[in-house]
Amino acid sequence: MKALTKFLETVGRGVGKVVGAMYQAGRDTIDQVVTNILPFMAFIAMIIGIILGTGVGDWIANTLSPLASSLVGLIVLSLIIGLPVLSPLLGPGAVIAQIIGTLLGTQFANGSIPAQWALPALFAINPQVGCDFIPVGLALGEAEPETVEVGVPAVLFSRFVTGPISVVLAWLASFGLYS
Amino acid sequence: MEAIAKAAEWFIGLFQKGGSVFASLVVGIVPLLIVLMTFVNALITLIGPEKIEGVGKAAAKEGLLYYPVRYVILPFLAVFFLTNPMAYTMGRFLPEKYKPAFYDAAVSYVHPPLGIFPHINPGEIFVWAGIATGVEQAGYNIAELAIRYLLIGLVVILLRGIVTERITAVMWKRKEA
Repeated sequence: MKALTKFLETVGRGVGKVVGAMYQAGRDTIDQVVTNILPFMAFIAMIIGIILGTGVGDWIANTLSPLASSLVGLIVLSLIIGLPVLSPLLGPGAVIAQIIGTLLGTQFANGSIPAQWALPALFAINPQVGCDFIPVGLALGEAEPETVEVGVPAVLFSRFVTGPISVVLAWLASFGLYS
Repeated sequence: MEAIAKAAEWFIGLFQKGGSVFASLVVGIVPLLIVLMTFVNALITLIGPEKIEGVGKAAAKEGLLYYPVRYVILPFLAVFFLTNPMAYTMGRFLPEKYKPAFYDAAVSYVHPPLGIFPHINPGEIFVWAGIATGVEQAGYNIAELAIRYLLIGLVVILLRGIVTERITAVMWKRKEA
């Protein structure tokens, strides 16, 4: 009898833990969706609506699409975004990357940019990722102030080099995709 | 009068377009996102994110063999289990000279897995979804794009880790001199 109670208690505790974790996970997820995802979707939808409605979309299609449908164009894009002076300004919240990505998305959707450029484009819009956050990120890793002093320019310079290289790597890796 | 009505119609039209975009985003992306994120969040809680600390200690070692540990495995695990921005706290296990490079590798991996693991950085989902929904609307399957983005991301963060580590070393020497 004692063994049975013990067994039931273990099972009950285990089930409680799993159900609790799942419920909490659901709560966290809904929280994220309401506070981060839906507001951004509203913002993106408004921008796309205005772009499509006013005809700015055609202008973007004519200027951005040729740039985004060639390797050289995407490398140029990544070099501009990865400039050590510009990259920390373009970083916050990845807002710029998300807007450029969505603009390019409208061009992928209507076929102005062939789909095989999607993978290199994903890297071309993102050489600045986290460049605004370097001191905070290093502080989270308990770095000394001296490390931050050296680390900030080191990461910024590195991006200017690795940004274009990542586009080339992605281009090489996109062979056989959508073509 | 007619001109005003025309202008008003055009103005509303802009937002009707936006509204239908919003509806397609909410219906197309959010339901899957919610269920998937709930699953992964629960999984992480049950596994216990503190289990990856051992990897952090291993990644601090010198030698060629530990480059992939430091700039591929550790960033991947940190980003997957701790998500943005807590992933960068794993840098505390590394010597100072590796910290900028680890941050560079980790922060560069908060977007490539978004097609499959959106829980990593749901607030910045459109870095991936902006292009991906466009490709999907053009009639392609985006699963393969998501996988390739995730895998090439690993190659790119290894490269970034190595390059940034070198640059950090050079700058450190110049500063001391």
